Amino acid sequence: MISHYDLNSDIKFLAKSEIRLKIISELQNKPKSVKDLVKTTKITYSSISSNLTKLEEHNYVTKKKNKYYLNPLSEIYYKNLMDFKMSVDLINDFNDFWNKHNIDQLSIESIQNIIDLKDSKLVKTSPLDIYKTHNTIKKKIIESRNIKAIFPYLHPEYPQLIENILENDGTVELIIPKNMFKKMILEIEEDIRKSATKNGRLKVYTTADELKLYLTLCDESMSLGLFKNDGSFDQNRILISSSEKSQKWADDLFTTMKEKM
Amino acid sequence: MTNIQTKRQLNEEYKNIKYILTSTMRSRLILAMYRSPKNLEELRNELKKPSATILHGLKELETKNLIRKVQKKYQLTSNGFLLATNMIKLIENWSSINKNTSFWDNHDLKGIPKELLKNMHLLKDATYITSTTSDLSNAFNKYINLISTSKELKIIMPIYSENHFRHIIGLLNENKLNYLELVISKEILSSIRLNESLKKALLRNKKVKIICVKKNLKIFLTYSPEFMSLTLFFKDGHYDDSQILIGKSENSLKWASELYSTYKEVNHEEK
Repeated sequence: MISHYDLNSDIKFLAKSEIRLKIISELQNKPKSVKDLVKTTKITYSSISSNLTKLEEHNYVTKKKNKYYLNPLSEIYYKNLMDFKMSVDLINDFNDFWNKHNIDQLSIESIQNIIDLKDSKLVKTSPLDIYKTHNTIKKKIIESRNIKAIFPYLHPEYPQLIENILENDGTVELIIPKNMFKKMILEIEEDIRKSATKNGRLKVYTTADELKLYLTLCDESMSLGLFKNDGSFDQNRILISSSEKSQKWADDLFTTMKEKM
Repeated sequence: MTNIQTKRQLNEEYKNIKYILTSTMRSRLILAMYRSPKNLEELRNELKKPSATILHGLKELETKNLIRKVQKKYQLTSNGFLLATNMIKLIENWSSINKNTSFWDNHDLKGIPKELLKNMHLLKDATYITSTTSDLSNAFNKYINLISTSKELKIIMPIYSENHFRHIIGLLNENKLNYLELVISKEILSSIRLNESLKKALLRNKKVKIICVKKNLKIFLTYSPEFMSLTLFFKDGHYDDSQILIGKSENSLKWASELYSTYKEVNHEEK
């Protein structure tokens, strides 16, 4: 089925020329004349004019009385292309984070929506602050009323952090490996745990499969951690973001993982 | 600023997509490995190019950290996989629009939020039907046919059409349709109120939920668990009942449901 995938000549036609892309982006807000375009882009008159002719031939723009108008579909094509550009930029910007890491458990949809993470920051540990990643997330969890998290490994502080949230009437939803249930969940004070479970404020989903993803969704932020290709968790890097889109991204990923179980 | 500087800046800005999207060799290699890791011979057979050309392309991609060689097979790195997934999305978005170019190009698309226009790949299985001079109501009949077997319908209705209402009410009365959610504008709601029989059949019906929005509606969207359909307005503001886009795949339904919820959520008041 995938065999028919191929870059069509339209995509190539646009991507080939930065000048054409620039012209389209300039025409997005309002129609412009060649002169206007020369003025705003600082590209030479001859380049602008010859590329406009080509764009017109390919039905991307229409000329009416000296001014060039962007055709409605051109705008959609352009936006799709820019989305792709943003996703490529994002992959490159966080190269350290993705490179040599296991992304098998990111859903295809979450990868297709990867630009939702564009306002993220890469938090890295340093020799002077080797717990920076853990402490950053810990702070977010403490400040949160509700959390959703995929914890692929146990940190000794987690049971207490979860207990504190439940004690303050918050809700906790967790995806954890089956063998961690005892050490993580049963460590929470029994009364708190039982009453929270009863009224649905504590939901734990366990899996016998290996989890290869670390995800927390706090009230105002999300964070993502990955395993390295050698199988160990990369404790030195997390991607963290407080944008609304990234939180929705994390929530969708959490739901997808939950549904798989 | 001189022209050379401008050019350099532009080059820098777009170099990443240019690198990948303008080379047929590089993009095909990435797509071939997306399906599964491949050795040189498999790549040669698939791309029908000599080894030297393929090896050259592979080398370039390896330098860019998009692929790696494990034993004798070439595979995408995690970066390569992220890139390939998004490239396929781009290609599918593009081909999904191209498949129905005249449908999209003929109509006013302002009623469709940007986010959904960027997820057109979900509609890649949808096709549009046009009324012809020999069958003027082809599109309308297809629509009536589609809704006739639905138990549940959600509709954004931008027009006051007694013809449509008559069929829908028929389905409600025959107990074929058990639940109807109708998103309409204030103007349409007042028109319904003025018509006694519509008022009774729609506004005083437990099976019907009316969601009234302040927004001016420019799309006619219908979806059920089985299908989605979309009709639009011409750019001059007139409703076009001659072309209807119909999708039945899970992804098409997903697109419709996301579009629907963007309307449902906008400052609405019920009945």
